[in-house]
Amino acid sequence: MRRRVPQLVCGLFGLLIFTLHFLTSDQAHRTYRLILDDYYQIVFAFALLVGVVSFIRVNLKAVERGKDRPYRIVSLLGLLLMPVLAMGWGIGGDSPFLWVFDNVQVPMQATVFALLAFYVASASFRGFRARSLPATVLLLSALLTLLSRSDLGGFMAEYITPVADWVRYNPSMSARRAILIGIGLGSLTTSLRVILGIERTWLGGGK
Amino acid sequence: MKQLQQRHYVFIGLALVVIVTMLLPYRPEIVPSAETRRMHEYIDSLPEGSVLLISFDHEASSLPEIKPLALALLRHAFSKRLKLIGIALLPEGTGVGYGLMREAAREYDMSYGEDFVYLGFRPQYVAAILSMGESIPETFPEDYLGQAYDQLPMLNGIENYDDLACVISVADGSLTTHWVEYGHARYRVKVSAFVAASMVTTYDPYLASGQIYAMVSGLRGAAEYEKLIGIGGSGARGMLAQTSMHLYVILMIIIGNLIYFRQKQRGRG
Amino acid sequence: MLLSNFVLLNTSISSWFDWSQLPVLIGTLICVLIVLYTTFYQAGRRKFKMREIAGLRAVEDAIGRATEMARPILFTPGWGGDIQRPTTIASMNILSHIAETTARYDCPLIYPTHDPVIMSVAQEVVAESYARAGHPDRFQSDNIRYVSSSQFGYAAAVDGLICRYEPSSIFLLGTFEAESLILAETGNSVGAIQIAGTDSTIQLSFFIVACDYTLIGEELFAASGYLSGDESILASVRSQDIIKVLIAFLLIAATLWATFDPDSSWWRF
Repeated sequence: MRRRVPQLVCGLFGLLIFTLHFLTSDQAHRTYRLILDDYYQIVFAFALLVGVVSFIRVNLKAVERGKDRPYRIVSLLGLLLMPVLAMGWGIGGDSPFLWVFDNVQVPMQATVFALLAFYVASASFRGFRARSLPATVLLLSALLTLLSRSDLGGFMAEYITPVADWVRYNPSMSARRAILIGIGLGSLTTSLRVILGIERTWLGGGK
Repeated sequence: MKQLQQRHYVFIGLALVVIVTMLLPYRPEIVPSAETRRMHEYIDSLPEGSVLLISFDHEASSLPEIKPLALALLRHAFSKRLKLIGIALLPEGTGVGYGLMREAAREYDMSYGEDFVYLGFRPQYVAAILSMGESIPETFPEDYLGQAYDQLPMLNGIENYDDLACVISVADGSLTTHWVEYGHARYRVKVSAFVAASMVTTYDPYLASGQIYAMVSGLRGAAEYEKLIGIGGSGARGMLAQTSMHLYVILMIIIGNLIYFRQKQRGRG
Repeated sequence: MLLSNFVLLNTSISSWFDWSQLPVLIGTLICVLIVLYTTFYQAGRRKFKMREIAGLRAVEDAIGRATEMARPILFTPGWGGDIQRPTTIASMNILSHIAETTARYDCPLIYPTHDPVIMSVAQEVVAESYARAGHPDRFQSDNIRYVSSSQFGYAAAVDGLICRYEPSSIFLLGTFEAESLILAETGNSVGAIQIAGTDSTIQLSFFIVACDYTLIGEELFAASGYLSGDESILASVRSQDIIKVLIAFLLIAATLWATFDPDSSWWRF
């Protein structure tokens, strides 16, 4: 029973959304909007609450145990601070909320993102080795692409960029399309298995 | 203190290369690509008053790359007196998008509510894209600042995608794909993109098939667009750092291979 | 009478059916029939065999290694997906198998995620796997945790977990975006064996360079069938192959048709 009801709801809604995709009537459009605008958003809001509760629980437990205490306290304070600022002073142009966002959140996020540049360098150093023929092809394509996306002018712009573009638009795009078709089909069959009730892992484990 | 490993030297080298090139006064000569020109020509061809929906589909982290791209687009659109609706499908893009629109609007003396509006963030991007196809006012009953949709004069008569010239996704990840898969496939809205360089190859198949109408990508794209609109921005400056980093990575690949072949030779010996 | 009824029915269908979506309907119905045929008809009558996938062969070794080294295993589904995304569901299937094995070996399994719904489902999946292995007492719900919805907040949190716990094996299976290389390189720096798989074509290139094994695209969907030997999953892999062959034939036919009759348009839908 615990599994049957959600499975039934999933199957029915899957079928409904699928059918609505092909209908043009106003009623069909209204139903579609109701599901997307209201039901979906309500479910999302409650799901977020589950996450926040879990976050608080895990961090409070860690504070209690004394494990990484300062970091956990900062996490919890951060979680508390932003809603308080938003509710107290709004989220408009010169609000403290936007100030904290611009001056704390953005630089912190940018810092972690910037790590990517360093990791690209170390991964290239370690990973692009001419161990075999396919690895050599990968290596050469990487070199071509890097050179073509650099602004060196002259010879590069005239000869390297067209070759790199050819690699990008022909072998690379063909392979990518094939992978995309494979992924699309995997997604399609998985979705169908969910709607038809064959796939039940999403309900929490049941095979 | 932990001993420095091989990869730490790679990191230090990269930091030095980027810092030094950022300090150099040299600015590379930019030649706009066909892709960037196509986007520029499209925006240029739109009649005054056309409405564009700009979706800030990115996180705050990619701001150094996204900001020059978005500003180039916003400046061009405002200079052509186009009407802009801003939205965000990721929570962190919300504040960034609002800030960028205000910054560009100030430069062109555009007024909020008449020349541009910012509707803010809507969770669950797939649902939001589909829902806007049915009704934008019901998806965003209020704008970012809490004003009712029907109180904003610019939005009068804008019901769904049929009333827009184009949706432009400013993205650092795969969200543009959802605009193609849901916005374009179901509602036939024209989708264009300003994307981070790392996403270019993801969108190439969509660009080639016409599902994405035009695409400008990365710092290079931003620099090219800045050149086309004749307004200097941070794209051109960033290009030099990017070029130096590319050359550094090429050097690392060569050194890595030299080490590999030397080790292989030693192994044989 | 019959004819007039048919005409009436046809006219009323025309008014509410979106005819531009007819090819989508036909294509989908064909796919549904093939999935039903392989799942309910073929699955009971024949054994499906799957080719060897190196990354999946290594799963058992990776878990064994973690047990021997008395270090945990880290499994994360990436930042890009939510529970309705098929990739996430496929990743859950693999998690179920891995959790069952780790329960038997008494090897801690850490599962950080960016999505509260994924967290709840993963907790259920892992709890049930532990129960199936006969060790429900070894399940620790706090090991499956929500860290942050923000992309790089999530990346920083997972990086932190990797650095603190130094897992011996890391599974990066799901939908990844720009955080992929950050996680893979950090995993590499602690000497973990890494098995990755994603539906994001751009991140595949990062994983191929930085991880020990990479499941490319649909291999991720086939993985759960490969690991569990579940007939229904193997049947859906079989149905994918049948549809793929049909698509290949359609592509060849359309290419030939378009070559010999460039004005034709039936294949443009």
